[in-house]
Amino acid sequence: MRILIPGALVAALLVLQTVPAQTPGAAATAATPHYALDPAKSSLEFTFMQAGAANKGHFARFQVAFDFSAENLAASRLDVTVEMSSVDTGDQERDDTVKGADLFAVAKFPQAHFAASQINRTASGYEAVGKLTIRGVTRDARVPFSFRTATENGAAVGYMSGKTSVRRLDYGVGQGDWKATDQVGNDVAVSFTLRLIAH
Amino acid sequence: MAIRNTTQRWGAVAQLLHWLIVALIITQFTLATLFDDLPPGARKLALLARHKSVGITILMLAALRLAWRWTNPTPPLPDTLKPWERNLARLTHALLYVLLFAVPLAGWTMSSARGFPVSWFGLFTLPDLVPKNKALYEVLVTTHGALAWTLGVVAIVHMLAALKHHFVLKDDVLRRMLPLTSNKTQGSGR
Repeated sequence: MRILIPGALVAALLVLQTVPAQTPGAAATAATPHYALDPAKSSLEFTFMQAGAANKGHFARFQVAFDFSAENLAASRLDVTVEMSSVDTGDQERDDTVKGADLFAVAKFPQAHFAASQINRTASGYEAVGKLTIRGVTRDARVPFSFRTATENGAAVGYMSGKTSVRRLDYGVGQGDWKATDQVGNDVAVSFTLRLIAH
Repeated sequence: MAIRNTTQRWGAVAQLLHWLIVALIITQFTLATLFDDLPPGARKLALLARHKSVGITILMLAALRLAWRWTNPTPPLPDTLKPWERNLARLTHALLYVLLFAVPLAGWTMSSARGFPVSWFGLFTLPDLVPKNKALYEVLVTTHGALAWTLGVVAIVHMLAALKHHFVLKDDVLRRMLPLTSNKTQGSGR
């Protein structure tokens, strides 16, 4: 018994030590946390030039799947799907025009998709490197973002935000008269602020 | 031709502002007629943008014109006018000045209410005069149109009066707003 008690203590200490020690060090073998979108507290917005003035819009419906560990970027990935018919520029007539065949063509291309299987660390945060598909056209894209985690009411959450720019004509958003960029600019600034919940 | 007004003639600046605004108002009616018939699209957007830029130009020129009028002599109305003609002339001129401000301001406010910021030829964006408001926008569409047509009618009355002065009364009222022609009655004191 005298031998067993210190043995149990050692075993208990070992367990206690290994649990906290594993979290930062053993990420390579542990599952990378998976995050899902909290739609109510997330936004995906864009700013475009119309008739020389900046105008804003946003997408009401989009899905995000984010596997992320700062210690294991190799296993991290980002997947975003945007429902193009949920576009809202604050003007019904304009929304109908944007959804039409010459612009988003939502009937034929209901979703835009960004799939990044490579996440790089950058000076100011991270960047997701992948393929962006809009209106059936797929191109390489890099999306810089910042990410921080927090614990809210016992739940692990993540906050992701970033800004990027998309040239609409690269993706064929603008056929016929809309190919002209004097009234609607080619560069569209996209910004996102996402609240993600770890699962 | 003198730059400034005299008591007999409008100077170069007043004439330039007058005729420039005439040309721009005609441009505005032409653009409005063109885009009213178009379905929503890039072409309509381009014409609307031009219409807004020209409208803001008229607003700026109107402000310049009023400032110039206040700091220059005004050639008086002819003594031959009957009191009612004099009153009608004054009313017409006052209405024209008011409408030169009211029509573009109503258009600008209408754009703001729709949620579309107004840009001046893509060079700078004007501030929104009111927050986005669909009901107000609908009211202002009617207001802007009604004011524009009022301006058109008053301008035609003004033009007919000028032609009457020139061809019927054969006085200097039109001539003194025209470049390269001198008054028939130099030094008439009016």
